[in-house]
Amino acid sequence: MKRIALLLVLLALVVSGCATTDVAVPDDKKGKDAGIKERNGKDDVIKIDRDKIREGALSEEQIRSQMASLFKDIHFGYNRYDVADDEKANLRKIAEWLLKNSNVSVLIEGHCDERGSNEYNLALGDQRAQSTKSYLVSLGVPASRLETISFGKEKQVCMERTEECWLKNRRAHFVSSK
Amino acid sequence: MEITRLAVTMCLLVVALLCLTENVAARVYIDINSPGLKRLPIAVLDFAGIAEGTELADIIKSDLDFTGLFVFINKNAFIEDATAPFNPDNWKPLGIDAVVKGTAEAEADGSLSVVASVYDVVESSNILKKKYASRKDLIRPLAHKIADDIYEALTGQKSCFGSRIVFIGQEGDRKSIYLMDYDGQRVKKIVSKGDVTMKAHWSPDGKKLFYSSLRNGRWGIYELDFDTVSEEKLFSSGATDLAGDVTQDGNYLLFSSSGKGSPNLYRLHLGTKIVTRLTHSDHIEVSPSASPDGKSIVYVADKSTVPQLYIMSTDGMDSRRLTFEGGYNTTPEWSRSGDLIVYSGREGGRFQIYTIKPNGTELKQLTDTGSNEEPSFSPDGRLITFTSDRDGVKGVYVMTVNGDGQKRISPRNIRAFGPSWSH
Repeated sequence: MKRIALLLVLLALVVSGCATTDVAVPDDKKGKDAGIKERNGKDDVIKIDRDKIREGALSEEQIRSQMASLFKDIHFGYNRYDVADDEKANLRKIAEWLLKNSNVSVLIEGHCDERGSNEYNLALGDQRAQSTKSYLVSLGVPASRLETISFGKEKQVCMERTEECWLKNRRAHFVSSK
Repeated sequence: MEITRLAVTMCLLVVALLCLTENVAARVYIDINSPGLKRLPIAVLDFAGIAEGTELADIIKSDLDFTGLFVFINKNAFIEDATAPFNPDNWKPLGIDAVVKGTAEAEADGSLSVVASVYDVVESSNILKKKYASRKDLIRPLAHKIADDIYEALTGQKSCFGSRIVFIGQEGDRKSIYLMDYDGQRVKKIVSKGDVTMKAHWSPDGKKLFYSSLRNGRWGIYELDFDTVSEEKLFSSGATDLAGDVTQDGNYLLFSSSGKGSPNLYRLHLGTKIVTRLTHSDHIEVSPSASPDGKSIVYVADKSTVPQLYIMSTDGMDSRRLTFEGGYNTTPEWSRSGDLIVYSGREGGRFQIYTIKPNGTELKQLTDTGSNEEPSFSPDGRLITFTSDRDGVKGVYVMTVNGDGQKRISPRNIRAFGPSWSH
């Protein structure tokens, strides 16, 4: 069932990709670790990208300030790693921006709250980063521009033992990697 | 099964040989498996002949005390000293059943030569007499060796006094691997590379450690060789790779890797370095620990949406759920005798240590103060080391397999967790 849904999403992307010209198609059915196959001739795509960059390229300063305001942490439920519905609008904005700024690559960090074993939390953080990446890939962002890393519960942003704090720590965090 | 029986037979032979050479009585003074165990009253005299004689006796006493099997009498009550001949009538009025005496000599080359004896007060006999030679600066390992022989003479079992514990110590943001004696002494930092280093796992021969470490933004599994004092990267998928236990035969390292998407279980042959994938699931699987017969693996999976313990056969087949109590059970370790699995589970907002039989019966909670996690068995299976925050900052603790005698062993100035006991 899940697989069929994913295939439909992929099909939809291929179809819509025909109309736009610069959408890359993920080739992995789960969207994880996807390599990229470009639908058009490679040279065409690069040319279009270059034109875009020339026209609308942002300075590093602009990229940094836009990313700071747009790339908000994605939060997760306790012991969950599926992207929650109320985080999807945020990820769609991020995907749009990444498609416009194709020279920017992003590292997605997966984090957890302080509860539970280090090992389990590292696996959980890994899956949070990977499901965030998968969602962006499903929106057309090339997987090659999205790296993931899990920090488990190693890097907390909030130190109190409260529900609010735990929620803040259960996050996918974005860092510009290029 | 055949191999186990052979090993047992060989152990008996070794013990028999020791009996001949050291005149050890066949009698077992303490049956450590007896349920209504009575603690044995014992006197350990300061060793005569060297300045460190008191230190030597104190370490031996501390070892014996650790087991919870002995009771000690204040040495001010002793009438006989270490150089006087053993006379049971000096000890009977004090209610003492066994006496440990020793003499030591500092040799010309700076080494120590020690003779230790154990006497049975009731039978008026010498049940152990043994000579030791040691470097003077290795007085602690020497004392542990003597205590180990005393323990074996009285119980017929091997002790864990010579064993060691590694743990993760944190200073600031940096996490390093530390090594200490089982009693918390001789603490040494041994690996401080990497931004984050996870709990280390011992090879059964005690010569190697395996652990995951985050280096330059990448997780990898590393091997530390104590003989060559060198470290080697064994595996890195580019995703999250988490070292688990080594199988009892020393052939395989079990681990979890999300290199193919979901964190699934693998094993790496330590000779050929060939990696075999054991499971193919779309959920989280971590923390594998093998049964001593090498036939089964206990691990953590979130198949039921929350982490629970499962047991599968070594080839990845026939998975069955082990824990049904509690909504968050992790970090299992299989005892080396195979009869128990120890793990930590959430109880209210905290974690506690539990043991359970591999067939899912006899669930027992061992801790209830603070949050207690990451348990690991001593080689003889009688003790468990674990992490606790009961005193505020996390530290490494020890208790018996029944939960008795819980005490902190790691130094108070280091935030310490993730202990792992050598085999």
